[in-house]
Amino acid sequence: MDKLFPTQEIGSLAKPAWRVKGYRGEPLSESEIAEAIDWGQRLGIMGVDELVKILKKKERTPEDRRAILEWSAKFAIRFFENAGLDIVFDGEQWRSEMYEHVIRNVEGFKFLGYVKSFDYRYFNKAACISKPKYTKPFYVEEFAFTCKNTDREVKVPFTGPYTLVDWTFNEYYERRLSGKIKDFKQRKLEARREFLFDLIKEVVRPEISRLVEAGAKWIQIDEPAATTNPSSEEMELFVEAFNETVKGFNCTFSLHNCYSNYEVLAKYAAELRNCSQLALEFANRDSRQDGTGEVRVGYRELRLFEDYGFKGNYGLGVIDVHTDFIEPPELVRDRILHAAKIVGDSSRIHVSTDCGLRTRTWDVSFAKLKNMVLGAELARKALT
Amino acid sequence: MIGCYVTGILPRPKELVEATRAYERRRIGEEELEKAFKEATIKAIEAQLSAGLSYITDGMLKWQDLLRPFTDNLEGIKAGALARWFNNNTFYRKPIVQSEIRHKKAIVTGLAYLEYLPKGVPWKVILPAPFTLARLSENKFYKNEGELMFSYADVLKIEIESLTGMGFKYVQLSDPALVYNPLKEPISGDTLADVKEALKIVVKNGNVRTCLQTFFGDFSQILPEALDFPVDDLGIDLYETSLEKLEEHAFNKGVALGLVDARSSLIEDENELFTVAKELIESIYPSKIHDVFICPNCDLEFLPWERAEEKIRVISRVAKRLKAELGIHG
Repeated sequence: MDKLFPTQEIGSLAKPAWRVKGYRGEPLSESEIAEAIDWGQRLGIMGVDELVKILKKKERTPEDRRAILEWSAKFAIRFFENAGLDIVFDGEQWRSEMYEHVIRNVEGFKFLGYVKSFDYRYFNKAACISKPKYTKPFYVEEFAFTCKNTDREVKVPFTGPYTLVDWTFNEYYERRLSGKIKDFKQRKLEARREFLFDLIKEVVRPEISRLVEAGAKWIQIDEPAATTNPSSEEMELFVEAFNETVKGFNCTFSLHNCYSNYEVLAKYAAELRNCSQLALEFANRDSRQDGTGEVRVGYRELRLFEDYGFKGNYGLGVIDVHTDFIEPPELVRDRILHAAKIVGDSSRIHVSTDCGLRTRTWDVSFAKLKNMVLGAELARKALT
Repeated sequence: MIGCYVTGILPRPKELVEATRAYERRRIGEEELEKAFKEATIKAIEAQLSAGLSYITDGMLKWQDLLRPFTDNLEGIKAGALARWFNNNTFYRKPIVQSEIRHKKAIVTGLAYLEYLPKGVPWKVILPAPFTLARLSENKFYKNEGELMFSYADVLKIEIESLTGMGFKYVQLSDPALVYNPLKEPISGDTLADVKEALKIVVKNGNVRTCLQTFFGDFSQILPEALDFPVDDLGIDLYETSLEKLEEHAFNKGVALGLVDARSSLIEDENELFTVAKELIESIYPSKIHDVFICPNCDLEFLPWERAEEKIRVISRVAKRLKAELGIHG
């Protein structure tokens, strides 16, 4: 992109009640329907009465549910466009959730039930019970729909294989090696390795291939689990997995990782081949005071990536997605200028949120994104 | 003796998961939640009893994380932000140490369901070890980590005395931080000497059996020093520990062998577990076999309830077979 400091989001946007309940076929309250009408007007979306008609139905057909999916994707695309972003997607409205969406669409997995994440929060964890098998595309339709509905640059968020493996019980491969490797630790590591590279070969690469055929120019590999296990064996495995995932495709790839150990990630980032951008979370670690220099405590680790020799761009997280605080444009500007100074080449900075906005309301998300765009504009002005 | 027991927090059965989620969404109140906890606790105890475990816990279903009862109930500490629980996709609240730590009120009994623990079977309680408490805290008060660890040791001693008074016969101190070492930095002899001194404080005057349970890391790193720790048993995560290195040492005290993997849903092959355990026991006890406990390598809460229940049965069956074939009674 020729523009200095292009703006982008990371992936998810909250799903409105009308999307969630509507898709499930549950009845909607008047205020929930009013939300669709209201946002439809705010975003200048035509033909919302069609959507309202579907939402008011007592019973919804599979075609209705499909239409709701498309409407929600369209709303999200317009949402990002209206906020002024240069690079957009559909807010992952098409997906149930980043993990479940993939696992449910691939053969070889079984959900075992909820395990604790923290306190009274849980996640539905699957086990791999046979060799993963690709049966149908799971991102392609969503991508094609997004392309059809925007003229802006499109970036496809793609849940990375290392994270899928890290979040899944590995029954099939552990069973296969049972009795073959005596040392339990070595056996687990080998089983993990086999699972990971089978998943890449059988599922991830075939899907990327379909996306590229469908015209995808930029795929963002989401790997929140990248540094969960910071040992050298695991970090090398992660790097190998990324390189194998993206190898040989005529497409731009980037990596998103957040709430992680960046001291560890920085050491390995330069080894990621064909990784044009690292989209990283910084705002969450930062102070809210204006200014560049020492006040920008959250961006300290950016220097590490530079010191270890990462040469690509940064998707610089300037918006904290875990708070309703609306970052003023001046704060966004200073975060950008500070990072540009560290990197020494402004063209390597893309302006981004820390992570997907799915935990914020649309009102908060919209205000945050608008200010992000204004802040990027201020930063451009400051440099010219 | 050859025994068996669980080594941590058990998973919440499905009904309790649903109740806690409903509570979060304000669909049920305190009373209904409490009822769900009680019913699940009875289930957790029954699972251990019916498998014939040597010591019984109450399942620790209310524990939000291993440190939380201490984080919430000790004077001088407040609960901080969420932090990753070692190399797992789970999180704990970081204890922030703001002033001198003091034991003001009972810590564990506020969460424990003593009334459901059966009289005829010895009870086990599981607590964080002083080193892990210190390592995982944010220290804003004490001069250094060592000083903080000794301060935790003092409060653990008080807590253990009170628990022993209530009838607990076995105290496990969970010490994952002592062996979790992904960057393979050497553990200094001074640290291990301090850990030993802190443990001495914790178990002083204790008329109770004790175990230092390590997990998420290689136990062989802290050998031979750990053999001198003032505890009865040493707990080892066999899914993280090099068996070869372990077998280089002769043990002079009991061991708790983390033989089933609480971080894998695959139910282990009992024949294989039996063979591995037998070889290991014969190798670390060249002359006299000490007490051995067969257990999960860490908290079973990483699994859905049904798998955890199945793994509890596995440890019991493997222990029985070892008892029979090694000709050990008791």
